[in-house]
Amino acid sequence: MSTQYSILFKQEHAHDDAIWTAAWGKSEKDGSETIITGSLDDMVKIWKWSDEKLELQWTLEGHQLGVVSVDISHNGAIAASSSLDAHIRLWDLESGKQIKSMDAGPIDAWSVAFSPDSKYIATGSHLGKVNIFGVESGKKEYSLDTRGKFILSIAYSPDGKYLASGAIDGIINIFDIATGKLLHTLEGHAMPIRSLTFSPDSQLLVTASDDGYIKIYDVQHANLAGTLSGHASWVLNVAFSPDNTHFVSSSSDKSVKVWEASTRACVNTFFDHQDQVWSVKYNSTGSKIISAGDDRAIHIYDCPM
Amino acid sequence: MASFGWKRKIGEKVSKAAVQQFEAESEKVEKDAELEGVDWLHAIKRRREVLLEDCTAKSKRLKEEGTLLAEQGRHWEAVKKWDEAIQLTPEEASLYEMKSQVLTTLQEVFPAVQAAETAVKLRPVWWEAWQTLGRAQLSLGEVDLAVRSFQVALHLHPLDRPLWEEDLSWALRLREQKRAAQQKAAQEEEAQKLLHEAPELQRDYEDFESDEVIAACTAMAERQKRCESLMRTAVVVDTQGVAVEMAVGDNDRPASSSESVLVKARAL
Repeated sequence: MSTQYSILFKQEHAHDDAIWTAAWGKSEKDGSETIITGSLDDMVKIWKWSDEKLELQWTLEGHQLGVVSVDISHNGAIAASSSLDAHIRLWDLESGKQIKSMDAGPIDAWSVAFSPDSKYIATGSHLGKVNIFGVESGKKEYSLDTRGKFILSIAYSPDGKYLASGAIDGIINIFDIATGKLLHTLEGHAMPIRSLTFSPDSQLLVTASDDGYIKIYDVQHANLAGTLSGHASWVLNVAFSPDNTHFVSSSSDKSVKVWEASTRACVNTFFDHQDQVWSVKYNSTGSKIISAGDDRAIHIYDCPM
Repeated sequence: MASFGWKRKIGEKVSKAAVQQFEAESEKVEKDAELEGVDWLHAIKRRREVLLEDCTAKSKRLKEEGTLLAEQGRHWEAVKKWDEAIQLTPEEASLYEMKSQVLTTLQEVFPAVQAAETAVKLRPVWWEAWQTLGRAQLSLGEVDLAVRSFQVALHLHPLDRPLWEEDLSWALRLREQKRAAQQKAAQEEEAQKLLHEAPELQRDYEDFESDEVIAACTAMAERQKRCESLMRTAVVVDTQGVAVEMAVGDNDRPASSSESVLVKARAL
């Protein structure tokens, strides 16, 4: 157990080009920790995290263009990836084989997110629709319409009640999943929202935007609860810690910042990357943070518990 | 105004008359200086500030002049103006980006790539600079690099349809053609090699009229025919080869709006 924030591990040259996305999951079966990265080099890589180091397990070929987004199912068995080639692919993490390839249509696969029950995958489309694909069927099951612009970011609330989407024009939409109704439309930012995340208790929604700000919303009342500044450029990714106390952000200014949820203060800044940091995630216990970016490196940090 | 510091250093040995005379003279000098309006203490500092202000303003004027020239098709003159502006403000990404557009028009492909590379280095989150870099790389024949640049541009700004439908899909089609051409070249080489080092010629035949020899001759003639037919055909790549994956609307080279107004003024 560490008492302060520190960099624990660096994997230089993890891909042949910029890393755009990463995810961290835990297998329900054997408790092993899996890290997934997607890159501009068209590859998805599966890494095992054990004994405080990364080990490459699979290099998954299939995407014809850069990989924009990856996610891992909540039981840690399946990975989903989306690419500029408009395909969403599902991979079996044990065998490293492709399970399904879904053609989302031109420009219609951006962020992918598993639903809390891992039965569905949500992705945003360029016409402002959130398309929901079935993991079993491999087909589009239904869609939620924001009547807005290109959706860059997607998040399910952990309690399974809400789905939030962030658009390229800075608008946030929150849907009620049970009824499919659009609950709230928030004019959050004036610039693209590249990432959003719910707190583990599903009470707060945190958004990251090209305007350099991070905003916190109270989900129930759709109130703005706070605006955080600190990054000198676009905020590219945000993730909440599983214990509800902190969240982490990454930016074009090459930094990774950890924020305390209660005080809304930045408690630590990592300046270890050489270039833009596109992705940042917590592990399942909140004891580690992963970040990856344009410098092709994967970093793992220690967090005080 | 702060006075000259002689007074404090006046010793007792200096006569009062001399001091008074000296003070009178130094005051006169100060007055002269004020009359001439030269403040030597601050002059150097102030001049540098003025210079900095001038650089930005002058660079902006030069940039606008270059834009006007480029719009009139006077491309070389535009480049010259922007080069002057770059001398004044070397950190201004838009100057390099516009220069790259014009250099591509002028078929100065290598300098065009260099200029665009500088632009993306200075402002890596500016998608239009990546688009310009991709177009310059395409002119240079660096198809793979162009595909990469267009992808970076799209990742930053997926909303731009011409970027998807013209730049990226055009670059992908070229990549496909290049690969097909390489594959064919390899096939041709293989066929040629087989022709010259035919396995039938590797061994001795005892009876020249045997069926064996006839079969060998037929096989070689067959191979020669295949080789010739390979040489005759040109590489024609099915445009759908890419379109299958990418769902491209148009099959021809984009006679697009972005081609006709290739040089875009950058307000940034």
